[in-house]
Amino acid sequence: MVAIIDYGLGNLKSVKKALDHLKIESIITNDKNCISNSDFILLPGVGAFNQGMINLEKLGLIEVLNHEVLIKKKKFLGICLGFQLLFEKSHENGINKGLGWIKGAVVKINTNYKIPHMGWNNIKYIDEENYIDTFQRNFYFVHSYHVIPKDYSQVTSYVHYGIEIVSSIKKENIFGTQFHPEKSQKAGLELLSKFFVKC
Amino acid sequence: MLKKRIIPILNFNGSSLIKTKQFKNPRTLGNPIQSAKVFNARNVDELVFIDIYATVEKRKINLDLVKLIIDECFMPITIGGGINTINDIKNVLNIGADKILLNNALIHNQEFVKKAVNYFGGQCISASLDIDRIGNEFFIKNNFKKRIFVSDFFVELKKLNIGEIILNSVQMDGTMNGFDLDLAKLISNKIDCPVVFVGGAGKLEHIEDLYNSGFDGDLGISSLFYFTQFTPNDVKRKMENINLPVRLVH
Repeated sequence: MVAIIDYGLGNLKSVKKALDHLKIESIITNDKNCISNSDFILLPGVGAFNQGMINLEKLGLIEVLNHEVLIKKKKFLGICLGFQLLFEKSHENGINKGLGWIKGAVVKINTNYKIPHMGWNNIKYIDEENYIDTFQRNFYFVHSYHVIPKDYSQVTSYVHYGIEIVSSIKKENIFGTQFHPEKSQKAGLELLSKFFVKC
Repeated sequence: MLKKRIIPILNFNGSSLIKTKQFKNPRTLGNPIQSAKVFNARNVDELVFIDIYATVEKRKINLDLVKLIIDECFMPITIGGGINTINDIKNVLNIGADKILLNNALIHNQEFVKKAVNYFGGQCISASLDIDRIGNEFFIKNNFKKRIFVSDFFVELKKLNIGEIILNSVQMDGTMNGFDLDLAKLISNKIDCPVVFVGGAGKLEHIEDLYNSGFDGDLGISSLFYFTQFTPNDVKRKMENINLPVRLVH
């Protein structure tokens, strides 16, 4: 069972629809017991960084997420904002603190290209074995900020948009993507089905 | 490299899909759910669905029907028509939409637009602008008979931090006679967020003409997909031939 964290932001329904389609059991929830009893945790999200942290805090979810992911080492996937929130801080609308599971910061995309970075872009894998490989490599992106990790050995893929942008990271049980697998048709569905193998 | 998006635009009148000509004389095209299913099977990059009469008929969009459309789609989907409260946006996002389209509110209710951008983020809000051409001048078509110059409005729009702009050319709409290249030239380099250009595509050469004019954004297409044999992949193959980056799905 995948717990899709409901913190009042983002496209929870798109994620649920993708998992339903793959016959992966999931529930949209912010109930602590439900999150503790799940096999996987998925943090989706579209929206502003500080609002995301405020909502997680208000719902009292930070402690349970820390416990499940950092101590119990439950397999975790963060998507887009849910990926950026894993970092120590973000520069979106002032400096705001994140969950801090991955060392580094979130900054505005500094390029002459149009912002947001919106649409289908192909990613480059760093280490094929370290990544859930998919046949198709075009994924759907929509973001104006991007992550700068301290430790680049955790980066599993990059995307080019005027500059090199980290498009996914894997740190032990924690996996995150800047792109939206739930919106990336076949390529995205394939990635999700390989990630949540034992649901 | 980021790919050019080819986006089918589905116009709806509250009960059926329609296609207008110069924003008039709507022609019925059939069932929107069936259409969404076909476009999903063709792996289109995105889909835009607009109830174009919701605002003038003072209706809300039919959420039950929109949900059935969204349920058919595994690509990003933008929904527009009659959206003028934060709750309207929440309702549409709650059934699985990714972006919402504002048109009327951009002109007469910018406070609401600002609120929406703050609440949901600019990436979630798309601006739909209908461009009226009078001689060689371009205006924003609106329900208030205000004369709004396109260039002036872009300056205003920039402050709103909207995620993308969908530009509809009123005079070329549904004509299938080609895009308004003067408009394309006018807006090139004036907008710093993604732009989707809509109105006039009737054959593949029109698309080549548009990109040759210096336009470098994305494409919105309606008539070409309904009244000719060409599919989204045909358009992309044509674009690939003129060295534009596209996502071809085999």
